[in-house]
Amino acid sequence: MKSKLSLCCKGIVWLAMFGVLLPLIVLLIWCFTERWAWPELVPQVFSLRGLREVLGSQALMILHSSILLSATAALIAVVVGLMTARAIVFYQFPGQKLLLFASMLPLIVPTTVFGMGIHLLLIRVGLSDTVPGVILVHVICALPYTVSIMTDSTRAIGKKLEEQARVLGAGSLRAFWSVSMPALMPAIFSALAMAYITSFSQYFLTLLIGGGNVRTFTVIMVPYLQNGDRTLAAGYTTLFLLITVLVFLVFRKIVQRFYPCLEQNRE
Amino acid sequence: MKRQRLVPLLLLLPFLFLLAVFLLGLCSGLVQSFGIVPPLGLTEPTLRYYQELFCSDELWRSLGYSLYLSVVSSVLAVIGGVLLCSALVLSGKAKGRNKMVGMLQLPIMLPHVVVALFAMNLLSQSGLLARLLYALGMISGQESFPDLLFDQAGVGIILSYLWKEIPFVAFFVVTLMAAVNENLGEAARNLGASPIQAFFRVTLPLCMPAIKNAFLIVLAFSFGAYELPFLLGPTTPKALPVAAYLEYISPDLKNRPRAMAMNSIVLFISLGMAWLYYCLFQQKMIRLQGGKSDEE
Repeated sequence: MKSKLSLCCKGIVWLAMFGVLLPLIVLLIWCFTERWAWPELVPQVFSLRGLREVLGSQALMILHSSILLSATAALIAVVVGLMTARAIVFYQFPGQKLLLFASMLPLIVPTTVFGMGIHLLLIRVGLSDTVPGVILVHVICALPYTVSIMTDSTRAIGKKLEEQARVLGAGSLRAFWSVSMPALMPAIFSALAMAYITSFSQYFLTLLIGGGNVRTFTVIMVPYLQNGDRTLAAGYTTLFLLITVLVFLVFRKIVQRFYPCLEQNRE
Repeated sequence: MKRQRLVPLLLLLPFLFLLAVFLLGLCSGLVQSFGIVPPLGLTEPTLRYYQELFCSDELWRSLGYSLYLSVVSSVLAVIGGVLLCSALVLSGKAKGRNKMVGMLQLPIMLPHVVVALFAMNLLSQSGLLARLLYALGMISGQESFPDLLFDQAGVGIILSYLWKEIPFVAFFVVTLMAAVNENLGEAARNLGASPIQAFFRVTLPLCMPAIKNAFLIVLAFSFGAYELPFLLGPTTPKALPVAAYLEYISPDLKNRPRAMAMNSIVLFISLGMAWLYYCLFQQKMIRLQGGKSDEE
């Protein structure tokens, strides 16, 4: 009876694995495909056209600026999230609960509603069609994640150690920087990751607020999807997937290098 | 004493600024929906656009289509997600750092645009599924494969959402479920319950608040999302956010208030879902004091 149940569970997990991996494998095949005529199950002609295009100078430039834009937005969102978290956890003021709820609003209100609403105002202040304008709206979309992650972790770490440092003579900034900051590092890492993904995945807002001037990965992907050049679409997607995974591995390595004890504790 | 008040205010300043920008965006949309768009020379408040919308067939069909897509995909995502989560917990894979579990989190990270590409590769009339069925002799040609992508049933859109949302629901619930199963589930088993009984009578009911929350999040998200219905949806009916954006970019600038009115309808339905979430959130806090659930 028990083994039947566990067999069933393993089956479900493997099925999910298969479901996740299948599109990725097909994507990889499409990267190198030139001609894949109906109804063949494998492509007839392979080529490196997709790869060449993707490694061309223009694509790499977009890649570079896209990563930079998302990283900037993520960094700002995490800093704001951290500041907000400290205010909410360590101080008492009226409307705290409402504030925490308000921080979740950008997650609930669709980006189309927010985007079309703010567009006119951003045009007026000259931020539409610019990188800072796009970063601004991306930060707002990432805030729910960073505020909630940083609030939870700030609450978990508490204030006691920081107060100890103050008693021993450290200034308030120094106490925060050398005592709380290292302890918050894993949470900061996951908040950065969430914010980066949120910004990176944003299609509608980037298109509307960027007005075609700000070109990110998702924005250049869509035309390839619509005109059906799957080789190029697959090439771009694969490259960006690799880069995203790489960015995360580098991030994690940095955290592990500087705070090895923390990573061990977490595991 | 003064410092005590000043510091939190300073800390909150950037957040309040961003929140203000966000709320300003929503208010600006609302104001425009009542026909007040000064740059277009419209200054007289009116309910005309709402009246027009509510009388038109198009709105109700779009609204119905959006609700259909989000309800069906969210219900299926929760069923699939809870199933996957239970399988992870009961097979002991939820504990520690498992490479396979990490892999299952990948769909949560990928942009919807990429998921649309996957759907095209697999589900279109020339996709891999159609080829497989043809090779097996189950369909006679490309045309006899049902058009899953741009049809009114939205099968392609729903499957794409499921690909992303099943893992989301599973990982939203898994931390709580693993903890409950280890403590209270174990207790139930020690008292003589079978693993299945312990799971359905103890573990699952205690995870219900988290499951409901996950449901509302995916429901609200898929109701207002633009990318997938835009890329994989039929020409008619259009999902409400897609229809609103079409009105917004139409060359006739007088259509803008109409777009904003559609947006306001989306906004109020989403806020209704959020209010429900808030109520459930409170309820969860009361029920699960002491136990901490993972909400990221």
